[in-house]
Amino acid sequence: MNKLLAVIKREYVERVRTRMFIIMTILGPFMLAVLTVVPGLLFSIKTGGPTRIAIVDQTDRLSNRVRDAILADKDDEESGAPAPGTAGGTMNANVKDRSKEAGKRLAANYVTEKIDLTGRSFEDVQHELNMRIGKDQLDGYIVLPKDILTTGKAEFYGRNTGDVVTSGQLQRRLSQAVREQRMADENISESRVRELSKPVEMSTKPINAKGEVGAEDSGGGFILVFILGFMIYITIIMYGQLILGAVIEEKETRIAEVLFSSVRSFTLMMGKLIGVSLVALTQYAIWGLAFAAFAIYGVAMLQSSGVAFTLPALPLSIFAYFFLFFLLGYFIYATIYALIGSMVTNAQEGGQVAMPVLFLLIMGFYLAFPIIRSPNSSFAFWASMIPFFSPITMLVRIVTQTPPVWQIALSLLIGFTTVVGLIWLASRIYRVGMLMYGKRATIPEVMRWVRQA
Amino acid sequence: MSDTLVLSNVTKSFDEFVAVNDLSLSVGPGRIFGLIGPNGAGKTTTIRMIVNITAPDSGTIELFGQRITPELQDRIGYLPEERGLYKKMKIVDQLKFFGELKNLKGRALSETIDRWLERVKLTEWKTKKASDLSKGMQQKIQFIAAVMHNPDLVILDEPFSGLDPINVELLKEIVLELKAEGKTIIFSTHQMEVAEKLCDDICLINRSRKVLDGSLRQVKESYGRHAVALRAAGGESVLEDSDLVARVVRHSDELEVSLTDQAEAQDLLTRLIAAGARITKFELVEATLHDIFIDKVGETDEQVTGSH
Repeated sequence: MNKLLAVIKREYVERVRTRMFIIMTILGPFMLAVLTVVPGLLFSIKTGGPTRIAIVDQTDRLSNRVRDAILADKDDEESGAPAPGTAGGTMNANVKDRSKEAGKRLAANYVTEKIDLTGRSFEDVQHELNMRIGKDQLDGYIVLPKDILTTGKAEFYGRNTGDVVTSGQLQRRLSQAVREQRMADENISESRVRELSKPVEMSTKPINAKGEVGAEDSGGGFILVFILGFMIYITIIMYGQLILGAVIEEKETRIAEVLFSSVRSFTLMMGKLIGVSLVALTQYAIWGLAFAAFAIYGVAMLQSSGVAFTLPALPLSIFAYFFLFFLLGYFIYATIYALIGSMVTNAQEGGQVAMPVLFLLIMGFYLAFPIIRSPNSSFAFWASMIPFFSPITMLVRIVTQTPPVWQIALSLLIGFTTVVGLIWLASRIYRVGMLMYGKRATIPEVMRWVRQA
Repeated sequence: MSDTLVLSNVTKSFDEFVAVNDLSLSVGPGRIFGLIGPNGAGKTTTIRMIVNITAPDSGTIELFGQRITPELQDRIGYLPEERGLYKKMKIVDQLKFFGELKNLKGRALSETIDRWLERVKLTEWKTKKASDLSKGMQQKIQFIAAVMHNPDLVILDEPFSGLDPINVELLKEIVLELKAEGKTIIFSTHQMEVAEKLCDDICLINRSRKVLDGSLRQVKESYGRHAVALRAAGGESVLEDSDLVARVVRHSDELEVSLTDQAEAQDLLTRLIAAGARITKFELVEATLHDIFIDKVGETDEQVTGSH
């Protein structure tokens, strides 16, 4: 026991002391924010002046509507965003929202100009406009053919047709103008149509095994499951290499033999895994506290300034399960990394061998989708018993339709037993592998080591 | 007092390769035991079995009168041939860690570390990182890690390789101190000069088998071959007599004359005088461990290759 503590202490202290850990702890949340927000921001940034668009109207009556639509500060379609159906949809919706936000910021950035044919041939006008674009006096022009109201086809010529934000927005606004014109021709008021086609709002409320109706489920649970899944994913990517390195360290530095003369390889392996895990948990605790402080402070500030905002309320038991399955997920994959570390001779080699681990992880994610749809099927049951997937699949089940406690307990039991089994296996492979220097072991060799050790 | 370590018919193979074959030996308490043999003879595998890193395929190993257990490991100090330190860890922290792994703790541990650092003259390096130390210094730190917990049996695998003469002397001194404290020391080496000066007992292994063992004295005495260091003018014809002389090796200013098994040094001297040689040096030379090593290893190699 003392020896195990000594190993844990060394792993923990040596890692927490490193500059890398301190920098990551401070910069981690910042980097995460940057990674999620910056792409959206970058997309919305348009450098240079307003986009100069000419409208070549061959119908003689659409240009004003088109101009108004283009200069308007929002699109018709943007007003009714689709309600988030699944958590995945929600995430995509967030991205869409952001690009729409970006579009709004663009709104004021158009300058339009009406081009009349006034007896000139269309080709002459087009030639002139092309020349102007070439001289950078214009950014693009829209051609509205005579039959646009029936065919619904228009053309856009521009210098930068790769700017999908602009061309998409132009297309939406043009459609709006054309639709309005069509309705006006039929004497239907646009505002009336919008009123009549208002979507239905459906609130969803869960019913538990006792027949009680729960609070409205806004889909927050799904989002949390996915956030958690993502956390496991990110943690494994971040700490997988660290665990791999920790296991390989003694091979590379040739300390293993000294250690094995003092401590059993299982103790060593266990100590390493726990030590590195404590480092990860320390980091999360710091982040968690920072986030909690921010949330409490931020929410209070928002509320005092009159904004109604509450954090989503979830039953405490769900948080407890989150924690347990987060730990399970983390340990399962950490042990797999340890196992890989025990087979290879250096970190680069380990990185290559570790690639398939991510596939296993992603598979767990994919399994979540059929389970959301039928969380009590036997498929869902078995998927939530397989230790490599259960951290995500069982959580999905808990959130959607909480299974009996024995199933949850069984899933955890299988999971943590697998962890111990994998550590045992890894420690045997490690001990024998350490004594054979040189090349990476083949699978049959590893099998023989397990028997030999 | 019973033997500290007894190996009985120990065999260990890795796949097809037999690393240690039917090895039996015993090491008495308070003795310095040299395990000698060429590279790849099976020394390191033997030692790894003694410290319980690998288990023998067959045969038994008894330590302090019992079969080896993880608890007994704490009574052994081991300096492996493949050795290293955590590069970015401070020396004092590493030694604390190694000490804790041997169940030392607290003040006693700190004091032990200070005392040993002083003994090997590395006190001022205490808070430096291992990567700042030279190879030789690191080796002394590793040596401390092997002996700091006051083990009853100290096993040193090639402890002197890579050290400068001053540090070799320092380490030899410490080994002799440990012996004086009553500890048993096993070390493996292929540096015969060192083994000859330090060992009470030796065991020579080659090609996974024991070639000879016993106290250094016994080994040398039973190894009957003798030679003469000779400096003389004239008498060349005597040296050409193959009944008397097996081999002549010419050094810078003298000859090393190996006699045949049945010949006596006395005969050589009388024959030389009779032949009218002027002798300035005539000295009986005892076979060195080095000679025994080369001779015995060559002999077993021949047997093995001959039998194929």
